[in-house]
Amino acid sequence: MKVSRLIGIAALGFLFFGFVAIDLVLFGVLALNSVMVTVLPFIGLLLCAVLGIVASRPRTQPPA
Amino acid sequence: MRPTRWVFVGLLFGLLVIGSSGPAAAQLGGECTASGVWQNKDLTVDASTIGNNLVTVPRKDTVDWQGSVGSAPGAYRGSIWLELPPPFGKVEIDSWRGTSTNTSNSGTKDYSLPKFVPAGVEFTVSGEQVDSNGVCSGTVRLQIEGGPFESPVTYVALALTIATGGPLAVMLLAMAKAAIAAGFGGAS
Repeated sequence: MKVSRLIGIAALGFLFFGFVAIDLVLFGVLALNSVMVTVLPFIGLLLCAVLGIVASRPRTQPPA
Repeated sequence: MRPTRWVFVGLLFGLLVIGSSGPAAAQLGGECTASGVWQNKDLTVDASTIGNNLVTVPRKDTVDWQGSVGSAPGAYRGSIWLELPPPFGKVEIDSWRGTSTNTSNSGTKDYSLPKFVPAGVEFTVSGEQVDSNGVCSGTVRLQIEGGPFESPVTYVALALTIATGGPLAVMLLAMAKAAIAAGFGGAS
């Protein structure tokens, strides 16, 4: 697992979820002052870091 | 895989709990009144009766406004602001201060909001006045008439979502493929 790639994925997750939060505000799903606007980017950071760790972990061969 | 599942369950539960909390109820507190009449839209907003209703206002109009307090305010100060998501606080729209013996004030205000202020977005505007009567404070939820595609901000936000979502998906897929290849491909 490359740590730099994992950090890159987490950063992209933060940005992606941040822009998703802005989209949700612009489309009237979330209020501008909703705490979700602040929380969503951090959820993206965590989620993508976890996905990155899971995706980069080599699978063990299933027993025959 | 079990710990990973718990992380996902925790995140989804957190999302549900935070997402389900509604905005604070809009009301006017203190011995005071405030109201406005939009001339072109024929809309009247009374801060004491608006409650938690979402008010839709036109992008451009003229408002006849009035406010009053219970008795002569003496030295007073007040402000009105736009609520931002925590921890960003608020953006002050206007403020006032002075000394007066008048218990009411009124006026007419023309306004025209620029195109970049998005329509359909729920804004929470709050205000308060502090004087010898005490503190008069209020909150109202409002949105500008129209759809999200009337503002260029929406196109920029969508473009940035795609610009970050695309590379993110590519990177995750590449890592997953590499992991599968290392696990099943007989890598030494």
